[in-house]
Amino acid sequence: MGVTILGIGVLTWITFLPVLGMVLVLLLPKERRDAIRWMALFFTGLQVVLAIIIFTKFDHGMAGINTEAGMQFVEKVPWIDVKSVAWFGRIHIEYLLGIDGLSVVMVLLTALISFVAVISSWTIDKAVKGYFALFLLLDTGMMGVFVALDFFLFYMFWEVVLLPMYFLIGVWGGPRREYAAIKFFLYTLFGSVLMLLAMIALYFSVTVYIDPAGVIHSVADATKMGMQGLEKIYTFNMMAMMDPGNYVPDSLLAGTNTSWRYIAYIALFVGFAIKVPLVPFHTWLPDAHVEAPTAISVILAGVLLKMGAYGMLRISFPMFPDAMIHYSWHLALLGVISMVYGALVAMAQTDFKKLIAYSSVSHMGVVVLGMASMNTPGMTGAVFQMFNHGIITAMLFLIVGVIYDRTHTRGLNEFGGLMNQMPKYAAVMTVAFFAALGLPGLSGFISEAFSLLGAFQTFRTLTIISVITIVLTAGYMLWVLQRVFLGSLPEKWKGLTDINGREMAMLAPLAAIVIFLGIYPSPVLDLMNSSMNFLAELLQHAGSATLMGLQ
Amino acid sequence: MAEQILQDLQLFYPELALTATFLVAILADLIFRRTSVVVSGIVMIGFVVTAVLVLGQSDLHASIFSNMIAVDPFAHFFKLVIIISAILIVVFSLGSAELNSPNRKLGEYYALLAALTLGMMLMAGASNLLMMYLAIELSSISSYILSGYTKEAPDSSEASLKYVIYGALSSGLMLYGISIIYGLTGSLDIYTINQVLAEGDISGVALLIAGVLTLAGFGYKISAVPFHFWTPDVYEGAPITITAFLSVASKAGGFALMIRFFKVTFIDSSVVTLPEGAWATFEGFEWYHIIAAMSVLTMTLGNLVAIWQNNLKRLLAYSSIAHAGYMLMGVVVLNNQGLAAILIYFVVYLFMNLGAFYVVMLVANKTGSEDIEDYKGLGARAPFITVALAVFFISLTGLPPTAGFIGKLYLFAALLNSGWVWLAVVGALNSVISLYYYVRVFRNMYLRPADQPGPPLVFGKLQTAIVLVLLIPTILLGLYFTPLVQLAQASVKIFGTP
Amino acid sequence: MELFDVVFYVFAFITVVSAFIVVFSRNIIYAAFSLLFTFFGVAGLYVLLNADFLAVTQILIYVGGILVLLLFGVMLTSNVINVDIKTGTIQTVPALVLVAIVAGSLSGLFYSTWKDVSAPETSVVTTTPALGKMLMTTYLLPFEIASVVLLVALIGATFIARRST
Repeated sequence: MGVTILGIGVLTWITFLPVLGMVLVLLLPKERRDAIRWMALFFTGLQVVLAIIIFTKFDHGMAGINTEAGMQFVEKVPWIDVKSVAWFGRIHIEYLLGIDGLSVVMVLLTALISFVAVISSWTIDKAVKGYFALFLLLDTGMMGVFVALDFFLFYMFWEVVLLPMYFLIGVWGGPRREYAAIKFFLYTLFGSVLMLLAMIALYFSVTVYIDPAGVIHSVADATKMGMQGLEKIYTFNMMAMMDPGNYVPDSLLAGTNTSWRYIAYIALFVGFAIKVPLVPFHTWLPDAHVEAPTAISVILAGVLLKMGAYGMLRISFPMFPDAMIHYSWHLALLGVISMVYGALVAMAQTDFKKLIAYSSVSHMGVVVLGMASMNTPGMTGAVFQMFNHGIITAMLFLIVGVIYDRTHTRGLNEFGGLMNQMPKYAAVMTVAFFAALGLPGLSGFISEAFSLLGAFQTFRTLTIISVITIVLTAGYMLWVLQRVFLGSLPEKWKGLTDINGREMAMLAPLAAIVIFLGIYPSPVLDLMNSSMNFLAELLQHAGSATLMGLQ
Repeated sequence: MAEQILQDLQLFYPELALTATFLVAILADLIFRRTSVVVSGIVMIGFVVTAVLVLGQSDLHASIFSNMIAVDPFAHFFKLVIIISAILIVVFSLGSAELNSPNRKLGEYYALLAALTLGMMLMAGASNLLMMYLAIELSSISSYILSGYTKEAPDSSEASLKYVIYGALSSGLMLYGISIIYGLTGSLDIYTINQVLAEGDISGVALLIAGVLTLAGFGYKISAVPFHFWTPDVYEGAPITITAFLSVASKAGGFALMIRFFKVTFIDSSVVTLPEGAWATFEGFEWYHIIAAMSVLTMTLGNLVAIWQNNLKRLLAYSSIAHAGYMLMGVVVLNNQGLAAILIYFVVYLFMNLGAFYVVMLVANKTGSEDIEDYKGLGARAPFITVALAVFFISLTGLPPTAGFIGKLYLFAALLNSGWVWLAVVGALNSVISLYYYVRVFRNMYLRPADQPGPPLVFGKLQTAIVLVLLIPTILLGLYFTPLVQLAQASVKIFGTP
Repeated sequence: MELFDVVFYVFAFITVVSAFIVVFSRNIIYAAFSLLFTFFGVAGLYVLLNADFLAVTQILIYVGGILVLLLFGVMLTSNVINVDIKTGTIQTVPALVLVAIVAGSLSGLFYSTWKDVSAPETSVVTTTPALGKMLMTTYLLPFEIASVVLLVALIGATFIARRST
């Protein structure tokens, strides 16, 4: 099943192509800067091609989420296999990749944003070789997070992202880069060690059966098969962890609504919330965004933040539906706080990048609110919002990059009257900003509308409060446009040139996607429809099961 | 008796080979007074022969010389760790600029290295309190001299003296503890002590006092808080090769000794209700609480103090204290899984810690400094070496995809699987703290330009090869750790325990 | 009080008092000579415990060897006789706390176990042959390793003493 190239599955290719690129980049002499840039562009370009192949071959009807059979492009190879000893069972970890409607969207986003970010990195002049090598490693980490279906593998990819990011911010960043980089590193590592502990606890709570051929069977299936020739093992398989029947009675995380399950859920939640980032775990984000070079801000906002929200949907929701339901209101509340707080703080910014950073916090709040609603429109909206936010915020950061490259300042109050000076720039920027503030006809509107619609069914008051954000967002976004484009052009910016071909090449496709999906969102919505429906049903089912259990 | 001793000797070949190496090295030093190359060659050959003999000893379960020494998979494992690091240290020493100054004679250095290794190997197997004490003393006395070997450096002599004083105090305490244990149980043989304890008329309080005193000796060897005071000064003052050796092999010996002592002595083998691979201590001897507290103190103090260090050797000293704390967590859980986790950690630690020290040594050879401030801009001057150092540090932090992650993973897994959640959380948070000081080094290497730009540092092929020998396992074992786990799981068997 | 006890207390008194003088004497020669009495006292206690071999070695090695060496060292070091050794107390409070803890736990140890202690057997047998046998059989390995330890110490001593050139 799935697509293979040279006998290797397409997901492996799309994940590890950048590493291959990294090796080739490292082999090039460091003086050949252009060769290095083209090499990176070539490999991320290949990634986009593969993403398009995946997009066209993706079966819209399969839900995935908690069954391996429902996953597509599955690749499964035994990775670690240690025979059992008298006092410890067999250790069997699989290299398991696969995607469903939830992850395919993220795969597309990652490929696209990485490609655009390479174009935007063309202006990097300091240690080009190191930059692109790290960039490509980062790319692999991000892609891996979205395609891994084995928790252990997922965690590896999750952590692989940290180190390149630290260096990319720390070496190529702005004046306070050291501080921003270490803050990012420590925050995310703090989150991920908690996630590690939760992962280990899950591992020791879930068993499945493995047959001599190495195929994994859930406890229910194994009972049906009569246990003939089967060996019981612990597993990191995510789908096995989602099946309540696989939990060992009396293990740490067995049962529903136990305090250990809540603790494990919170540990996972903190790990993901730091990445999202939700208020109050967000303080690393403005620093990181402001200091990072443009392309890295694009990656951060476009892909990295999505890892947190994706993690919640992929892991927290299906594995801990009981805890999820228990804490859904709190989650929604944090989402709303992020929305309102992010918007309010954004309003007060005079630094262009910081403003966008806080707008990211606000927009990711919408994602979390949508997810927390646990119904199809809410979650579909949330995932779609992840995709759109990825593209729109990427555009916003690129736009800041364009102006910063020319003026070396990000102070909003220093600009004015650029409309006539840079008409093409003004056009692109207007599209991006209107998309960000949720203007109907652009993609951001649809996803926000879906999210809020879903959220309204579950959390009325909270959603009504959150609607303030729309006004606030419109306020600060329009104010930015006003400050940059209207008024009189300061003397010193008389010589500014409009955007060049390279900049257009990275902005135009994104703008086209924003407009296209604003008018016709089905291509993306269809991808995730079945999966989101299925996930919503799963949660509702778990919810009613919990209620019955309580009665 | 004589036949028995001759038989036992056959299981004692590695140690015999080491003793022979030591003696031949001394003689050779007397004959070839001018060149220490001969002695280093002899010691190298001796170590390699010992390593081969150790490898030939796998899967034995015996106790030799009237229960003085156990020859079991557990000891075998630690002997391997010790002899491999000893070989690497000889290689390091050959390339150390600090040691190979024109006026220095290195004959005794290599001879004592053999004696030190012998002491550590004996620690790995000793199963009699007298033998344990002698093994500790043999390795201690050798390391006192070795850590003061660069006499002209002022902090080297200071290191040696501090080491002697703390060493004398802790071995005195340990000896006192041993004498009390002997008084209480009438035996020095840990198997007999275990039987006496099983009869159950020994006062728990009395034995606790004796045990804590004995613990001073072990704690000093593994530099666990509060017996760690010597570590930073000695690690900073000693030649870097010796620092590296002490940080890995000496710890290995200390852990082997301590685990064997606790596991054989205080384990109640009459409890049969436990799951496979777990064990229980005698009632009234729940000492794992003490070890848990020691573990928390050790790792937290090590990590917190490391943050303030500016000398890389000193930083690594505190980091090695912290790592001892992590490994102690594996003792607390009282089962084979925890034991296996410690063993896994040791293999990983061997590569990553020796690697880190080796790179620090190479840099010090060229720049003459171990100060973190002098690492500024080094990333551009020596890209390969600094990337290697970065990988070793990432591994010491415990981030995937390096071997250090696997070590931490198994420790946390052992803790969580036996319900020590709080300890696992403390350990995990500690690794976040540790990131901060390791990253300070990255920051200086890559993020900050040098105060005065220097020429690129060029390293020879051999040096690069040695770095690779340490670097490749550090990464590879993080990606494919099946053999590592198999080795550790096969090596948890301690002679005389169920 | 039997004769045995009287003899014990006499030896114990000699040992403890001379040990105090060793510690508190400001003159290094006095200290060294008091050490002589400490060693003798301990040797006497060994005799009372029927450890004849140990008593003899104590006198031979500690008195005949180590102490004489010590005295030679003192004598040969120039200008040491008239120098006042600096003594003083620092860190009194932590030291007191530590001493209290140690003393407390050790006396606790003593009281929890003293009733188990039985008097030594009165029959006088010579322990030397048995010790010799054990050193060559059961304790062969520690005996040999101890010799390696001594060799290492010897090398170390010469290394430290050697003038660095």
